[in-house]
Parts: sequence; C-alpha cells; structure tokens
Amino acid sequence: MPTLRAIAPIVVSATLFAASAVRAEPYVPASDAQVIERLPGGTDARGDRAMRAMRALLARRPADLDVAVRFAQACVDRAKALSDPRPLGQAQAALSPWWDAPDPPVPVLLLRATIRQRSHAFAPALADLDRVVAREPGNAQAWLVRADVQLVSGDHEGARASCAHLEGITAVLCVAPIDGVEGAAAAAHASVSAILDGPTIARDERLRAWAGTLAAELDERLGRTGDAEARYRASLAIDPFDAYTVAAYADFLLDEGRPQDVVALIAADTPVDNLLLRRAQAEHRLRSADAARSRAALAERFAALHARGDRVHLREEARYVLELEGDADAALALALENWSVQKEPLDARIALECALAAGRARDVTAVADWVVRTRLEGARIAELVRRVRAS
Amino acid sequence: MKGVVLALALLGVGHAACADAHKPSDSYLTLAVHGGVVRGHWDIALRDLDLVLDLDRDGDRRLTWGEIRTRETDIDAYLVSRLALSAGDAACPLEVAGHAIDHHSDGAYVVVGLSASCPRAIDALTLDYRLLFDVDAQHRGLLKLAAGEGGNTTRAAVFDRDHRRQAFTLGGADAGSALRSFVRDGIVHIATGYDHILFLVALLLPAVLGRQGGRWSAVPRLSVALRNVAATVTAFTVAHSITLSLATLHVVMLPARFTESMIALSVLVTAIDNLVPILPARRWLVAFAFGLVHGFGFASVLRDLDLSGAMLALSLFGFNAGVELGQLALVALIVPVAYLARSLRGYQIGVVGGGSVAIAMLALGWLVERTLDVKLMPF
Repeated sequence: MPTLRAIAPIVVSATLFAASAVRAEPYVPASDAQVIERLPGGTDARGDRAMRAMRALLARRPADLDVAVRFAQACVDRAKALSDPRPLGQAQAALSPWWDAPDPPVPVLLLRATIRQRSHAFAPALADLDRVVAREPGNAQAWLVRADVQLVSGDHEGARASCAHLEGITAVLCVAPIDGVEGAAAAAHASVSAILDGPTIARDERLRAWAGTLAAELDERLGRTGDAEARYRASLAIDPFDAYTVAAYADFLLDEGRPQDVVALIAADTPVDNLLLRRAQAEHRLRSADAARSRAALAERFAALHARGDRVHLREEARYVLELEGDADAALALALENWSVQKEPLDARIALECALAAGRARDVTAVADWVVRTRLEGARIAELVRRVRAS
Repeated sequence: MKGVVLALALLGVGHAACADAHKPSDSYLTLAVHGGVVRGHWDIALRDLDLVLDLDRDGDRRLTWGEIRTRETDIDAYLVSRLALSAGDAACPLEVAGHAIDHHSDGAYVVVGLSASCPRAIDALTLDYRLLFDVDAQHRGLLKLAAGEGGNTTRAAVFDRDHRRQAFTLGGADAGSALRSFVRDGIVHIATGYDHILFLVALLLPAVLGRQGGRWSAVPRLSVALRNVAATVTAFTVAHSITLSLATLHVVMLPARFTESMIALSVLVTAIDNLVPILPARRWLVAFAFGLVHGFGFASVLRDLDLSGAMLALSLFGFNAGVELGQLALVALIVPVAYLARSLRGYQIGVVGGGSVAIAMLALGWLVERTLDVKLMPF
C-alpha cells in the first residue's frame, strides 16, 4: 500500500497538540526551555501572521463591520481547516456588535448560520438563511448552505428546493449528495465523476479532494470497494489534513476488516475526537495494548464535553459507548437522541446497530422505515434493516 | 468560474455533521469556602491565554515555560480583572498565588492558586465571571464550588456569555456550621498536639496526690482530687484564652520558634517538678503561667486561616471551645483511673514517676529540636 504509507506520516505530523491521556497532578516545569504547549496552526506561519494582524486590527476597530466579517470568515475557515471549534467562538465574539441585533446585515447572517450549524443548532441556522434568501434571492452561497443544513437534518425535499436556485457545477455538487442517499447513488456518482474529469475543477485542488471524497462514499454505497479506496487515497493525497476524509476512509477500513490500517492512518495523540474514536475502535478490534489508553482519552474528552453541556457529538459518543464501553442500552439512547437532530447515513446506521445489540429492534422501527423510504443504498445498511425487521 | 467560487463556499461550510476536534474553550474554576475565606485554583488553557496576552513572543507556535513564567504578572493582572467574588454586598478581594501546569483533554492549562477573603461569614457567594467572552463568545467557565462542613457539599455551575453573574447560597456556611467547624478545629488541634496533651498529663497525673515534704501521697477524698483538677484546668484555660485572643487580634505577636520552644520547656519543667519539687506548690499557678505560653501556640492555627471581622470572633470562640472540649475529654479519660489507682505504689512510682521521666525526656528532645531548629525525633 504505497499511498497509505505515503499518507500516514503526514497525518501523524498533523497532530497539532500533544494531548496527554494520562491525568497527573499539576506541576511546575523544571526548565524555561521546556515546551508546554504547541499552538494550533503551526504549519502555516503566513496564515498565522495574517490572523494576528486581523485580530489586532479588530481590537482597534471593533465596530467596523467589514473588518469583523473578514476576521470572522477567516476564523470559520480556520475552524474547518484545523477541525477546531475554538475559532468559531472567536468569530462569534468578533460579530457580537451585530449578533444580537434585530436585523443583522447579510454577511453576519451567513456567518451566524454557519457557526450555528457547526454547533448543530440547525433550526436557528435555517432561520438565518431564510432571512438571507428573502432579502437576496440570488445569494447562491446561502442556498448552498441551506441545502446542506436541510440534508443533514433530514429534509431532503427542502434541500432539493434550495439546490434548484443554483446553476452549473454548483447545482450538480448540491444535488449529488441528495441523490446519493435517495436511491440514485449511481447517477450521482456519474455526475460527480464527470465534474472530477472535467476541466473546471482541475484548477482547484481542495474542491477536487472534496468531490473525490463524495465519489468515494458513493462508490462504497454501490459496493465498489476498490474504486472507493482509490478515491479516498486520491483525496488524502491532496489534503491529508482533512478530518472528514480521514474519518470516512477509516470507517471504510474498519468495515473492510482492516483495523491495522486505521492504526497506521491515525496517530495515537490526534486532537480530533472523531479520529481518535476510529483509532480506538481499531485498537479494540486488534486487542491492542494501546486500546485502554485511547479509551481513557475518549472517556475524558466526552466527560469534558458533558461538563460544559455540549450535546454535539452524540453520534460519536453512541459509537464509543456501544463498542468500547459495551453498554448497548446507553448507546441506543444516545443514538436515538442524535437521530432526532440529524439524519445522515451514519446516523441511521449507529441507531440500527445499537438497537440490534440491545435487543430492542422495535425502538428503531422509524429509522428502518426511513432507510427504506429514502431508498438509501448500501449492503451493510440493508442487512441491518433486514435484521431489525426480522426481530 | 463563478461556479467554482460558489462551490468553494460549500467547502467553507464543509460537512455540517462533521464533529470537531475537542471542544470549545473552557476554564475550570475549583473553589472551596472555609468560613469567610474562599480558596481554590483556576485552570485556563494556554491557547486561550495566548489569544489575549500574546504569550508566544517569538511566534514559533511553541509555548515554553519561560514564555509563560516571565509573564506571570500579566497573567495574574488579567485574571484578577476577569473574576470578582462578593459575599452579600461586600467584595472579597481576589489574590493569585502560585502557578503550575496541568493537562486537560484538550491541551495544557496554567493552574493558578486563588484566595479571596470576605469581610464576614459567607452565606451567599456571588461570582462575576468575565474571562475571554470578549474574544471567544463560546467560552465557558466551569465552576466546582465546595462548601459546608468539611467541604462536603459540592456544586457545579457553568458560566457563559449570557450567564456571567451567578449567586450561590451556601446552606452549609451559616454561622452555626462555621462555629461547629471551628470547634472541630480546636478539638483536632488539641488531640493531635502532643505537646499540649503531655503538658496536661504531667499536670493531671499528680492531681490525685498530695505532696508532703517532697513526697507524693494519695488524697483522702474525691472532692480534693476534683478541686485540684478543676483549679488546674480552669487556670490553664483562662491563661491560654487570654494569649490566644491577644495573638489572634495581633495585639501581641511572638515568633513561632520562641513560642514552640517555650511550650517544650513548660512540659519539661512540669514533668521534672513531678519528680523533684522546683515549682510553686500551688499547681494552678503553674498551669496559669504556662497556659499563657500554650495560648500563643494555639493562635498559630487561627492565624493560618487568615480570618477577619465577625468571622474572627466566631472562630476565636469556637476554636477555644473546641480546645476546652478536648481538654475535658482528656480529664475524663485520666482522672477516674488515676483516682482509683492513686494509693498503689505502682501508680505513684511507675505512672507518675516513670511517666514524668518519659515526658521530661520527650520534652527535652522537643526543646533541643525547637531551639536549635534541628530534627532529632520522628514525631
């Protein structure tokens, strides 16, 4: 596996903080030279300086809408690039003079919708987007984000209606994820492949990586494992830091019964909870000596989220509780709470898995019905639905 | 081309359901209320502090201990400006002491020690938390507040942008329970203060005896023994109450090493006097004189608690009462047995004589240790 080996060290070095799973007593470091913390963004010195400059400018002109919006946008981009939620709070703080205003300007509404969406406040995010498109019916970005939020929260019809306001390549990339979960994965794959092979996208690597990952997921749903793996690796070759693609590829490897490749792909001290979860699952399946350490680290991270009152990582927590804590009933409760908020293929799958493990198939009848009604494809989800209906 | 630009917006959005690394910014505030004092520590992520204080001076994205240590003054000033404690209407000035490093699930945190002294007993504590909200609207302050007797009631609260000021009624920290905790402190102090105990033992062992021509003999009646005990204990109590109060109110201050040495000397002299009369025959006088010395020793415990105002009077009273209760328990333990055994030669020679020799040797050891500031004995 030459590609995997080429990627692994990059992913390993992508770990930006040295997170220790072992809690010890507070200590006073012995030497001034000792490095206590690695700040995020260390790989991009120029972007970093730009952020600092913008932050300084914002401190001088906190009421300047243009400065605030540019800073907030940079924060949102950074949050995405580093899989780090902290910059979202910084973006919100920069926008605070307009955030609670009765009628914020359109750029603030767009950013607020994105920030709210990231904390899974889907309904308020949609309300913001509705206001944007009511004021600017031609705002393509608003329609696109709106379709995304609607798809995640299970409103496929609404998502299609939003995509209908778009044109060209954007419209195609808007509709393909919806087709992909509504029994038309092959058609969606064909349209995404056409874009990937076309000239327009060749200029933008990140967009190519994004579309490649979408194609890989569709390949998986269609049972074309070889193609799926090739697509995942191609996307990772472009953007090895993309946590979404690493997670999707790790899930693919877990499904293929290759946990050792997951351990090679994801570093033990990854700061990304999603990725640590996959690694912990892989170690668990390998009966590795490191399994306990990763499990403890995950437990600590979920405990920290609970302490602040966050209910954003329910899907991941359900997976953790089901496989690593072996508490199917508790996992099912989390999975169902998650299902009430978001309805993507992974959300359906974990709910079905938890119910089967808990012997409570009746609790997920609605989920199974949803899968059948939306005609979601995939051999694994079909098998889960069959077993749920059989019991 | 326009299409690509718009599709990039999709990238900016990313995948809506993709969970992030770690969690947003939190600080961890752990406080405990002791009477009128609040103590604890505050853990703040170094990443967050860097945001407001630019700790990474050389811009290499690596925070070294030196970069943190040399900015402790700035860190303290920033933190003190972002947290205010008050009890009722009265502010409790916050002080920062001590810096360490700890690791939470999302990285390294600086841990600062906190203490705040309120002018009176805290029955309602109000916290005004303003850390980081101006630069990170999703920041939260996670408080754990221990109160009540022995800090056994712990409450948790979350401060966020919309909940910056919160008040906590400390059911366990009313005057009654504060008094009980001081009484307990007093009992504990006498029960674990071997020098005080041995001084009392040395005073009490011969209380069931009378001295005639330098020799001990059994008292004829219980009433005589009880009168001796009552006079001795009362004199000791009155004396140490006087000096305890004077020292706690900062009227008279003596260096701890001098006081401790004098206490050791008092034990030594009293024990020797049981063997060979060297002190006035009226033992209550001895108890009074040396009680003055022991009071200064008790005061050091209360001084460590750093009390003031109404809390001070309460603590003085409660602590003293606790010391008396401890003394009475000791009396109840020793005197009946001593009275019953008073006529036995084994008691007069073995217990009073042998015991006094042992106490004297121990006290001599303490005296040497405390005057020369060396360590000879394992306790």
